[in-house]
Order: sequence, then C-alpha cells, then structure tokens
Amino acid sequence: MKVLIVDDEGPARQRLQFLLDEIAEVSEGAGIDVVGQAANGREALHYCHDMAPDVVLLDIRMPDMDGIEVAMHLLAQNNLDQAPAVIFTTAFGEHALAAFDAQAVDYLLKPIRKERLQTALERVTHLNRAQIVALQQNVGSTAARSHLCIRLGDRMELVAINNIVYFEADQKYVTVWHDGGESLIDETLKTLEQEFSEQFIRIHRNALVARQYLVGLDKTKEGGFSAVIEGLAEPLEISRRNVAAVKKYLKQVGRIS
Amino acid sequence: MPDPNDNEEIFLPDFCNVRTVFAVVVLAQLLSFVLALGPHVIVGERWFQLSLISLFIQWVALSNCAVLCLLRSFLQRFNSLIIAVVCVFTVVGLTLVISEASFVISRGFALESLLPTSWHLEFLLRNMAISMIIAIVALRYFFVQNQLQQSIEARAQARIQALQARIRPHFLFNSLNTIASLTRTQPAIAEEIIMDLADLFRVSLQTDDNEVSLIDELQLCRRYLHIEKTRLGERLQVVWSIDENLELVKMPSLSLQPLLENAIYHGIEPRIEGGIIQISSQIEPEKIHLSVSNPVPSTRAGSSHLSHQIALQNIRDRFAALYGEHGGLEINQNKHEFTATLTIPIRLQKP
Repeated sequence: MKVLIVDDEGPARQRLQFLLDEIAEVSEGAGIDVVGQAANGREALHYCHDMAPDVVLLDIRMPDMDGIEVAMHLLAQNNLDQAPAVIFTTAFGEHALAAFDAQAVDYLLKPIRKERLQTALERVTHLNRAQIVALQQNVGSTAARSHLCIRLGDRMELVAINNIVYFEADQKYVTVWHDGGESLIDETLKTLEQEFSEQFIRIHRNALVARQYLVGLDKTKEGGFSAVIEGLAEPLEISRRNVAAVKKYLKQVGRIS
Repeated sequence: MPDPNDNEEIFLPDFCNVRTVFAVVVLAQLLSFVLALGPHVIVGERWFQLSLISLFIQWVALSNCAVLCLLRSFLQRFNSLIIAVVCVFTVVGLTLVISEASFVISRGFALESLLPTSWHLEFLLRNMAISMIIAIVALRYFFVQNQLQQSIEARAQARIQALQARIRPHFLFNSLNTIASLTRTQPAIAEEIIMDLADLFRVSLQTDDNEVSLIDELQLCRRYLHIEKTRLGERLQVVWSIDENLELVKMPSLSLQPLLENAIYHGIEPRIEGGIIQISSQIEPEKIHLSVSNPVPSTRAGSSHLSHQIALQNIRDRFAALYGEHGGLEINQNKHEFTATLTIPIRLQKP
C-alpha cells in the first residue's frame, strides 16, 4: 500500500512517518510504503500524479490550497476507482468535525494515535464528489477552487486562479489564458462563471475575464465596446448584452468614471 | 455572537403564552379581593360585590391579554417608550369600553340599583384611573425585570468570550502534535516546548485580570513564538525591534500575545512561503506603542475569523476598563500588511 503524507508542518509530517514505519514493521504483510511527504496542496497533487499512491493522509488546513480542495482535484483527475483513498487529518476544526461525521468521511485528530491510524488504513474508503462538495460547504472553505488542474497528455499542470487572465470558449474546449501561456480545459464557461463569479466577469458569450486584469473600455469602429485587458495587446470584444454589467463593475471599482 | 437585534427584545412578556395569561388571571383575582375588601363595600354584600368585581376585572384583564397578544408583533419595531405609551392607552381604552358596556348591560338586566345613572361618569373615570395606575406599575415591573435579565445574559456572554479569547484549541492541539513528534527526534526541544506551554497556560488560566511588567509579557511572547517557530519552521520569521529598557512599564497580561497569535494564524499560516512578523515599540513621553505587523495573504483575503474578532474585542474591553482613553488597540490594514498597535500609558508604580 503506497501512502503519501501531506501536511504543511514539518513535525506533523515527521510524526506520521514514524507511525507508518512502526505499523509497517509490525504488520509486514500490509506492506505499507511511504512514497513521499508533501508540504502543501500543489506538491501533494504533483506527488499523486507521479507516484499514484493508494492512500493520501491529507491535512485539512493548509496554505493556499486546503486539503478538501486537494481531494476535489484528485477526484477530478482520476476515475473514481483510480483516485487514491483519502484520510483527512486535523488538529481542531471546531464545528467542522461534525461535518466529517455527517458525511461518513474518515478523519484523524492530531496528535494521531497509532491504533487509530492503523484502523483507518485497514478500511480506507473512497470519497465521492457529493461528499467533498458537502464538506466544503460545511467546513466553510470557499467553494471556488484556488487552482485549476490541467492535464497535457501525461503531464499535469496547476494554474492558480489568481494568475488566469481570461477564459475563452470555442466549439469544443475552453482555453485558459494565464501568465504561463495558454491551456485547454474540459469545462464549460457556464460552470466556470458560476464557480468564480467573484473573480471573473462575463464580457461575451465566449469570454470570461478576470476582474483584476480588466482595466478599461475602448470604443470599436462598429460603435460597440471592447475591454482593455492588462498585459494583452489587443482589447477583447464585449457583446452588447454584457456592456452594462462591465461598465457598472468598472465604475464601482473606479477604473472608469 | 448574539444578534444585535436580540438585545432589542421587547420588554413585555408574551401575552399569547398560557402561563402569562394564567398569571394575569391570578393577579386580576387578587386585585378583585383588594377592591372587595375596601371600606366602601357594605358588610353584608361583600360576596356579592366580590363576584361582580371579579367578573368585571377578569373581563378587562383577559381582553387586555388578547389585544396585547395581537399587538406584540406590531410593537416589536418600536422603542420601549412608545411601547409603554401604546400599552397604557390600550389598557385604559379597553377599560373604558368595557366599563361602558357593563353600564349598558346593567340597564338590560334591570340592575340600575347597582350602577345608578348618576354614577355613570364617575364609574368610567374611576375604572380608567385604576387601570392606568395598574398598567404603569406593571410596565415598570416588566421593564426592570427585563433589564435585569439582559444584564445577567450579557455578563455570562462576556465571561464565555473572555475564556474563548484565552484558550485556543487550535493552538493547543497543534502544539501537542509538535511535542509528540519531537519526543522521538529531539527530546530536549520537546522538553523546552512543554515548559513554554506550561508557562503560557499558567498565565492564561489565571482568572484575575492582572497587570504585569512589559518585560514579563515580552518573555511570554518569546515562549509562545518559540513553540510556533518549532511547528512552522522557516516559514515563520520574527523581527524584534523593542526597546528593552522599559522595566517600569506595566501592561495587562496576555495582551500582546493574542496579537502574535492572530498574526500567525492570519498572516503566516495561509502563506506557503510564510512571512515576517515584526514586533516594534515606539516610546512617547507618557505612553508607549507596541506594534505587531504581519503580511496579508495575497490569495483570498483571509476572512476575519470569529475568534480573532473576539480576541481583539477582549483586548479593547480590558484596555478601556484599565486606561480609559489613554490606552487602546488600533488596527491598520493595507493591501500588503496588517498592523495592530497597543497604546499603553506609562504610569508611576501604584502605591
């Protein structure tokens, strides 16, 4: 059984390593093999992609990308039976713990008891999407992802939502334009708009622009408007029905008067 | 946190409630006894008079209950004074209507002898006066009772908040986890951390709100940061620029430490790369400012956590109680940095 340890605190990772080593020693048959230690969500996803662990011991409270989002990405990347099983770990989450019980999701309380870890490993369960979504809502972590996970053949790339300039839809795919270039994702503009409505604004039937990079308006020759995007040479066309909303937003943040 | 509207809870009891109605009936009956025992009642007719008085008063009391029950939701949006005035008018008005009705009914039953026509006006005025006095006394009682209830609740709430501000489960369990790990690799450091934790909890479990010397509080802060530094490693950097020459300055115990805890929770932990916490002092002739600043996470502005708010409010309350307007807590935040500054007046040692 390949196990990946994910925790942002060094001593916490180290302790899990000790416990797993001891469990492995006692129960030789189980064949527990720690394939790595990740210190944050991004690292965790890369390890999972490269090492394909069977079980991930996942800390919930981590910087940038929390454990629940990591679980979400793991599920999105794999088919249900290929996704690693997840055991959450947490020090103290106040009311959050009730959410875990309600969703029948296994979690370990730090400091973790060896016996408890052992039983959790013996009956690892696979989470489904509904459970993760419910946890996300209950634990109060923002429903929107902090990163998009992009797969290019065998390679995996994580793009922070903050670094995305705009999404553009064509017939089949959505192109993500970000500071590192462009990538294709298999999601619809509509679901992206719903999830990231705080950070992105619709300017056209086929374009969703990051609010932070939207700096102003231009008049087009045809008498319509186009959006000036920071770091982009060409402005993007704004469709007639979205002009009012874009203007309202720009006024609200004081980028146009 | 109590909803602010909860404090504005209407001070009247709920007249739709069966228990309240029962209490009103009992009180009305007692009032009937008082009136029937009055000197104006002819001795031989007391029982008869009592029955009539009871009938009348219960009628007035129950109709008042019904009307106040219906008015309750309407009254809720007004302040106490308006509610009181409306109540008095309701009670007096209903008494007038019912008195007049009794007068008319007594004609119908050919009981003129009980309420002679010459009494008409006096009968109405007397009843209205009695009901007004009783209404005012009752309102006063309800109001005082409500105030007392609220102050008891407020005091209980304040105690709970003070406790929550002092003991943070998140910190305790993370520290225990760090110790559990270090006992194997670095027992000496584990031992140190247990000592640090013991010192912190000894101070935080003290119930009286003592002033300690600035030096002691700084020492406690160092202990706290030592624990967190072991847990967070390189991600936590601390820069001290404190004038240590402040032997005589006194401050409330555990007032700087919660600011550090907030700084770590909101400024360091949410950042993969961690950050620097800066602790600095600035001395004026009569006061000293102590500042704690931390970086603001770039991604998703950390929502202000409830326990964070409670901790800050707790410090504000304690400073206000101790120093009035000479001391306090000020928060400054821009896009990159969050700074909390304590202002402490420098006083000579208390005799």
